[in-house]
Amino acid sequence: MSAVLAVSPARPTLVRAVCVREWREALGNKLLVGMTLLPPVVILVAGIGAVAAAAVNPPSDRDVQALYAAAPAVAGLDPKEAVQGFIATYFLILFMLIPTVVPLTMAIYSVIGEKASRTLEPLLATPVGVGDLLFAKSLASTVPSVIVTWTAYGIYLATVISIGSHAAANAVTAPRWILAIVVLVPLLTLLSVNLGILISTRVNDVRVAQQIGGLVVVPVVGLGIAQVTGRVVLDNGAFLEMTLVLIALDVVVFWLARLAFQRENILVRWR
Amino acid sequence: MRSVVRTEKLTKRFGALTAVDGIDLDVREGEVFGFLGPNGAGKTTTLRLLCALIAPTSGTAEIAGFRLGRDDPKIRAAVGILTEQPGLYERQSAWDNLVFYATLYGLSTAVARSQAERYLRLMGLWERRAEPVVTFSRGMKQKMAIARAALHEPRVLFLDEPTTGLDPDAAKTVREFIVALRGEGRTVFLCTHNLDEADRLCDRIAFFRHRVLRIAQPDDLRAELYGRATEIRIMPKPRPEDLARVQAVPGVHEAHLENGSIVVASKDPLRTNPLLVRALVAGGAEIAFVTERRAHLEDVYLRIVEPIE
Repeated sequence: MSAVLAVSPARPTLVRAVCVREWREALGNKLLVGMTLLPPVVILVAGIGAVAAAAVNPPSDRDVQALYAAAPAVAGLDPKEAVQGFIATYFLILFMLIPTVVPLTMAIYSVIGEKASRTLEPLLATPVGVGDLLFAKSLASTVPSVIVTWTAYGIYLATVISIGSHAAANAVTAPRWILAIVVLVPLLTLLSVNLGILISTRVNDVRVAQQIGGLVVVPVVGLGIAQVTGRVVLDNGAFLEMTLVLIALDVVVFWLARLAFQRENILVRWR
Repeated sequence: MRSVVRTEKLTKRFGALTAVDGIDLDVREGEVFGFLGPNGAGKTTTLRLLCALIAPTSGTAEIAGFRLGRDDPKIRAAVGILTEQPGLYERQSAWDNLVFYATLYGLSTAVARSQAERYLRLMGLWERRAEPVVTFSRGMKQKMAIARAALHEPRVLFLDEPTTGLDPDAAKTVREFIVALRGEGRTVFLCTHNLDEADRLCDRIAFFRHRVLRIAQPDDLRAELYGRATEIRIMPKPRPEDLARVQAVPGVHEAHLENGSIVVASKDPLRTNPLLVRALVAGGAEIAFVTERRAHLEDVYLRIVEPIE
C-alpha cells in the first residue's frame, strides 16, 4: 500500500488555490461577470460624461447660486469650475459604492453557489481549516473588487485631469480622496464580503441575499449626500474616524462570519 | 489484521434525536466493510463522524491511528470520502477539479498532477480531462468524485452509495476499483442499499439503524439464519421415491419438493452432497443440476433490520 500523501496545505498555497478556483468559476459565470462590471462601468461613464457635459454647457445663474449654497467648498469659484469640481467630488462618493456592491455579489455567489452545487462537503472533508478557507474565500472576492474599483478610479482620475477644469482636477487628486480610495475601499470591500458570506449562510436565494446585503449601501449613500449638501464635512478627522469604525466593523463581521462558518453548522444546519 | 477504524460508544445527538446511538465498530485494515441500513438510519451521520466532519456527542473513535476530536485534520488527511452528491465544480474541467483538491490535500504541484493523471486514467476519464464536468454523464461525475476521494491515497475510503444511478458498465468500473483498493491493502467503508453489491464486495457487513444491530460475514449470516441448503434438479421431475432416498441419507435434516427440485437442508453439505448424488443415481434418477441454494442478502437484511419497525 502506498503511503498517505495528504498533509494540511500551507496557507499561501491554500489561498492561491481557492482564489484561482473561485476566479475561474466567476469568469465562467456571465451573469456574475456582468453584475461585477456593470456598477463601475455605469459610474465611470456617468462621471466622465457629467464632467464633460459641465465643461461644455455653462450652468445658469440660478443653478450656480444653488450650488454655492449647497456646497460651500466651491463657493466663489468660476461657475463652470465650480460645477465641474462639484460633479467630480460627487462621483468620487459614488466610487465608494463600488466596494459595497461588487464584492457583495461575488461573496454571495461564492457561498450560495457552493451550497447549491453541494460542493462544500467534499471541501470540508479536506485537512484545510475552516478559518483558512473563509479567509481564502474572503480574499477571492476582495481582491478583484478592489482592483476593479482602483482601476475605475484610475481611469476617472486620468480622464478628469485631462478633460476637466482645474477645480475638477483638484477634487479628484485631493490627498484625502486618494487616501480614501486606497484605504477605505479595501476596508469597505472586506466588510461587504464578510457580510455577504454571513448572509449567505442563512439564505439560499442569491436575490434575497443581495437585497439584504444591499442595505450596506445605505450608510455610504447617506454619508455621500450629507457631504455633498454640506451637512457633514469629510475632513481628515472624519476620514480617520471612518477608517477606525470600518476596521472595527471588519473585525466584528469577520468574527461573526467565522462563527457561522463551522464545519458542523455548514453540514447540518445550513439549508 | 490491524484496526483502522475503532469506535467505542460513539454517539451523535441532534437535540432530541439520537442519530447514532453508542456504536462500537472495529474495522480492519484491507477489508471492505459494508454498512447497511434503511434511509434515515444515521449512516451519513456516522460517515461524517468518522471523517471528522462533525463532532460526536459522546464516545470515542480512532481512525487510521488518530484520535477523533484531537487529531481531526490528521484524520481528514488519512481518509477519503465519497459523499452522497458528487459535489464537483461543474464549470471547471475534470483536470482542474482534481488538481484543486490535490492541492487542498497538501500535495505538491508535481505530485498533484501525477495523481490526477493516475486517477483520471484509472477511471477512464483521461481523454476528457480538459472538458468541463457539466458535460459529463452522472456515471462519469460519480467516477470523478471517487477519484477525488482516493487522490491522496487515503488509508480508509468512505463510500456513500458509490454505484447508485450508474449504468452497469460504470458500476462495474467502480466495483473493480473497490476490489483493487482492497488488493492494495486499503480499507473501504461502504454504505450501500445495493445488497447484491454488498454481498459481492464486502468481507464483513454491519447492519445498522441508529445502532449496530449485527456485524458478520455475509455467508455466516446466511448459514446462521437460513442454514445451508442444496437444490437438486431431477429430469423430468423428482419422483416420490427420490425424495424418500434423499431423506434416508445420513446427515440430512430436512428435504422437500419445490418447483421440480428436491431442496435438502443438511448440517455439512460438503460431506452429505456426494452421498445424495450416489443414492439418487443408484435409484435411477436423472440428475440435471446440483446447486447450493443461498439465501439472498436481502432476506438476511429484512430479517435483521426490518423487525424493529
